[in-house]
Order: sequence, then C-alpha cells, then structure tokens
Amino acid sequence: MAAEHGHHEEVDFITQMHHNLNIWGLPEEPWHLGDIMVGSLHIPIELNAATVFFTWVAMALTILIALVAARGADVKRPGKMAAMFELLFDFWRGLINQSMDPKKGAHIFSLVVTFFLFLLMCNLVGLLPTGVAPTADTQTTFAFAMITFSMIFIMGIKYKGAKYFKHYLQPYPFFLPIVIIEDLAKPLTLAFRLFGNMKGKEIMILALLGLITGTAHWAGGFLGNVIWLLFSIFVSAIQAFVFTILTVAYIGVAVDDH
Amino acid sequence: MNINLDFNATLLAQMFHFVLVLIILRLVAYKPMMNIIEQRQKYVADNIAAAENQKAEAEKFKAQYEADLQRAREEAKAIVERATKASEEQAAQILESAKAEAAKAKEAALADIQREKDKAVTELRDQVASLAVLVAAKVVKGSLSVDEHHNLVQDAVKEVGQLQ
Repeated sequence: MAAEHGHHEEVDFITQMHHNLNIWGLPEEPWHLGDIMVGSLHIPIELNAATVFFTWVAMALTILIALVAARGADVKRPGKMAAMFELLFDFWRGLINQSMDPKKGAHIFSLVVTFFLFLLMCNLVGLLPTGVAPTADTQTTFAFAMITFSMIFIMGIKYKGAKYFKHYLQPYPFFLPIVIIEDLAKPLTLAFRLFGNMKGKEIMILALLGLITGTAHWAGGFLGNVIWLLFSIFVSAIQAFVFTILTVAYIGVAVDDH
Repeated sequence: MNINLDFNATLLAQMFHFVLVLIILRLVAYKPMMNIIEQRQKYVADNIAAAENQKAEAEKFKAQYEADLQRAREEAKAIVERATKASEEQAAQILESAKAEAAKAKEAALADIQREKDKAVTELRDQVASLAVLVAAKVVKGSLSVDEHHNLVQDAVKEVGQLQ
C-alpha cells in the first residue's frame, strides 16, 4: 500500500511541478470547446491548453524574428538577423539540393526552413521559465509528422504521378507489407523521436528544478539545472535539425527518379 | 503524468498553426529576402560585368594612349630633326652669303684701288711730262729745234709709261 502510494506520488510529481509552474492559469485538463454532432454521435472538440498557448508564443517569436530579419534585409548591408537568415537559407538550400533536383527542391524550400525555425522555436519555448514545449506533446509532434507524411505523398505523386505507387511492389510484390510498415514508420519515428527528446528534456528540467529546495542540493539542483538547460539548448537545435533533415531525406527519396 | 495518445483537436490545431506560420513566414520573410538575395546576385553579377567592361575599356585606352605617345615621340623626333636640318641649312646659307659679300667687297676695293692707281698714274704722267718739258726748256733753252723738242718729250713719255 505504501509502495503503491509512493509510486503514485512519484508519477504525480511532474504534474505537481506543472501545476506549480502554471502561473498563466492555463487549464490543466484538455480545454473542452464543444461537440460536433454527427447524427447521434458526439465528437468532443478538446484542446490541450498549455500546448496551444505555448504554440502561439512560439509562433509569435518565430514571426517576430522573421520580421526583424526581413526588416534588416538589404542588398548591400544586411542586418544581423537578415544575415543569419541568409546563412540558414543557404544551409538548407544546400542540404535540399544534395538530396534532390534543385528544381523540385525549390518547392519544399519554404516548408523545410519553416519546419526548422518553428520546431527550434517550439523546442526552445520549453526552456523559458514556466514554459512548456509544444513539441513535448504528442499532438504537436504527430501533427508535424503528418505534414511530412502528406508531403512525401504530395511530392511523390506530383513528380511521378501514379508511378509513385509502383515502389510498393518493388523489388517483389510480396514486400508490400514491409514497404507499408516502412512508410508508416517514417512519421511514427519522426513524431516519437521529437516527442521523447522534448518530454525527456522537460522532465529533467522539472526534476532538477524540484531539487532546488535549499542549499543542500546546490550541485544536484541549481548547478545541474544550469548545465542541463545548456545541454537542452543543444538538444532542441539538434532535434529540430534531425526532424527537418529527415523530412528532406524522405521527400528526396519520394521524388527521386532512380 | 502519462503519455497520452488519445488524439484530440489539438492535432488539427497544430497542423493549422504550422500551415499558418508557413504562410506568414513565406509572405513576410522568405519572399522579400529571396528577392533581396536575387537582387544581390544580380548586383554582384552586374558589378563584375561592369568591372570587366571597364577593364577592357581601360586596356583599349591604354593601348590608344601608348600609340599616341609613340606617335608624339616620333613627331617630336621628326620636328627636332627638321629644325636641326633647317638651322644647318640656314647657317650654311649665312656663311655663303657672308663669303659672297666679302668677295664682292674685296672686288670693289680692288677696283677702287685700281682706279685710284690709274688716276694717280695719269696725273703723274701729265705732271712728269710738263715737268720734263719745263726742265728741258730750261736746259736747252733755244738750242733745241721743235723736232728735237718733240722727240725728247716722246722719250720722256715713254719712260714714264714704262713706270707702270
């Protein structure tokens, strides 16, 4: 009984930390907006309030830095943010052109850069005090993975037409189930990789934060948290990059002619 | 806390959010910045082309100036040569005319001398003749016939003529 109780408390610790840090007064249960009635079926419309709220924060920040960059854009002397964006553009254009024909790549350029910027911002929002990374919610990572998944098909069909589906039967038709599993694995792995990293990061932050109760836990709490936050910046960037580069690679395979 | 795989409207909301961000970024950042980058590429290409043009033009001008300089040098050389020749000619001419004038002056002087000499001789001859006559008359006063007188004079004249 005691063990069970202890286990229960341990599980609840993160929830408790979330509750303590929720200075924004966001609903902790999914936000019920109403129901869609389809015949006699009630489909509830629910939003994870914290996820949506911090997505808005991330959107605002992404758009803000984009505006700053666009304002600094100049032919002769670009501003600092503009120069950084140009580096970013060159970087992603280079990676896209490596994995597909530049003509085809031009179509996904905006998508790829937005993926990177927005994911990076979503990941970093989780590092703000009281912040929750929208990407530490499976809803978000699956939403983004679904976009990648759709783009694989859209781009594949756009450049190959019905022939795109031929690869399901290659090299032998009986590979079909394997190829289908492979296809489904792409968005699943994308979503879970990002989610796992971001959730892990969040749990570590909250756990280390929970250790800051007094001077006794300096090394484990404050110092550990500082080091972990530094590492988290790195992880946030890496995960945004990984998600984006895999999106490029998957689309590259889909539109490849060979 | 548990990992929840019950998908709700958040999934759709997040897809919508992403598409919204994509559209906004495309409008406010990517398109204008791509334009700027293209403009810069064009600017750089134009500048390179202009620099190349200018270089070619400069080479052309340089060649032209070098040719002009060469021509100017040749002309200067020709002018100096011409001037030297002209001055030499002039000097020679001056010398020539000086010589000619000197010769003329000498000739004139010689002629003058001759004339004066002739005049002096003639005068002397006349004077000698009359003097002789006078002397003879004094010496042979009355003893001399006219013929003898005449011969005497003639001799004297001859003698004086030989003086020349």
